[in-house]
Amino acid sequence: MSRNTLILIVSFIILVPLQVLVFRNFVFFNLGFCFIYLLLLLSIPIETSITIGMIIALVAGLIIDLFYQTIGIHASAGVLMMFLKPYWLRINVPRSGYEVSHLPLIKSYGLGWFIVYSLPLILIYSLAALFIEAGNTGLFWIILLKALVTTVVTLFFVVIVQYLFYSNSR
Amino acid sequence: MGQLLAFLVKYRAFFTFLFLELICIWLIVSNNDYQRSAYINSSANFVGSINETSDGISEYFGLRRVNRELAEENARLRAQLLMKSSIPVDSLDQFRIESDSTDSMRYELTSAEVIANSIRNANNFFMIDKGEKDGIKPEMGVINTFGVVGKIRSVSKNFSSGISLLNTRNSFSAKHKTSNRIGTIQWDGRNPKTAQLLYITPDVEVQVGDTIVTSSYNAVFPKDILIGTVESRSIDANNTYLNIGVSLSVDFGKLSYVYIIENIKKAEQDSLSNSNLEDF
Repeated sequence: MSRNTLILIVSFIILVPLQVLVFRNFVFFNLGFCFIYLLLLLSIPIETSITIGMIIALVAGLIIDLFYQTIGIHASAGVLMMFLKPYWLRINVPRSGYEVSHLPLIKSYGLGWFIVYSLPLILIYSLAALFIEAGNTGLFWIILLKALVTTVVTLFFVVIVQYLFYSNSR
Repeated sequence: MGQLLAFLVKYRAFFTFLFLELICIWLIVSNNDYQRSAYINSSANFVGSINETSDGISEYFGLRRVNRELAEENARLRAQLLMKSSIPVDSLDQFRIESDSTDSMRYELTSAEVIANSIRNANNFFMIDKGEKDGIKPEMGVINTFGVVGKIRSVSKNFSSGISLLNTRNSFSAKHKTSNRIGTIQWDGRNPKTAQLLYITPDVEVQVGDTIVTSSYNAVFPKDILIGTVESRSIDANNTYLNIGVSLSVDFGKLSYVYIIENIKKAEQDSLSNSNLEDF
């Protein structure tokens, strides 16, 4: 557990500035953003209580919001995602079952499981963040398109970063 | 009572969720209205200084373009200067002395650098590296050499945040230059290169390529600042107004240096229009 805590703290220290300083400046296909810091929320261990998960999401979201000049929007989307995460984990159990002290990442349960696990959560996050940001339903289709592109781009980067940096850390 | 407690404990995750979301909603409502008066000032300085550092790195990549823009602006100003120096026919013209120099001055410009900017949201904002210390106040207009950029929304000591023209909750008074008709320019949240000119009636002859400028009906911008050119026009279904697409003259993706306009007589203008509210 202590090793996992260390991994989480290090990824917080790296991913949040990475999001704020680097990925904030990138827009993909003129539509999609990349919320790489969601990897931090996704990698919170299964046995962590739902409340702690939501508080981490709130804090990380507020830091992101300060830089995006959208106080509260990413925080609320993050809290929503972290609220739904344990229920989705309970439904989507890997074939071998969960093991204590394994982070829910590719190296523990494989790529296929990780995509099934993270895709709906990232989609919910993107939909919530972008619709709250727009503040009206007049732009429904374009926001929907933005959310879909954002989800795919974010998932892509979340997977790539894991292959680059997380594989050797065990 | 016991049952109620048991209920609360059983669904404590859900209630924590509700509680945290309520905090978020409160933050969103109190901070994200388009004037954002309750901007968190202490964090603005911290966020601003980090934005400044990060912009300092990316600035190098835009130097060539900024140089070219400055050279072009120089050339344009020099050309205007040359046109001015005509020999006066009547020598008396030269000796017109203002009794009070503040009478002739209405606008003051401060230059600033954009350190953070977004264009892909539905409501876009930018941040500049000048603040209260440099005399920036909320509601000041922001332009660059190409045209209207937006207006200042909130100010901290060293930084200010502004509402971009690319903000669906923001609109400016605009004028169709050839007909002098006044309309409202508003962004529809789709393409960051075009905005909509609203409330122009179909009897106005609007041609593709016509110039749209700021009107004199606002205290934020001087009149005749370029906004863009007409890109498309069509009559709406009810035949009441024209749908005019305006191709914006400012490339918001490449904002680097801007000017902040201070209207020296804004307070006077506002107090007059507020004292006669029913007339306006």
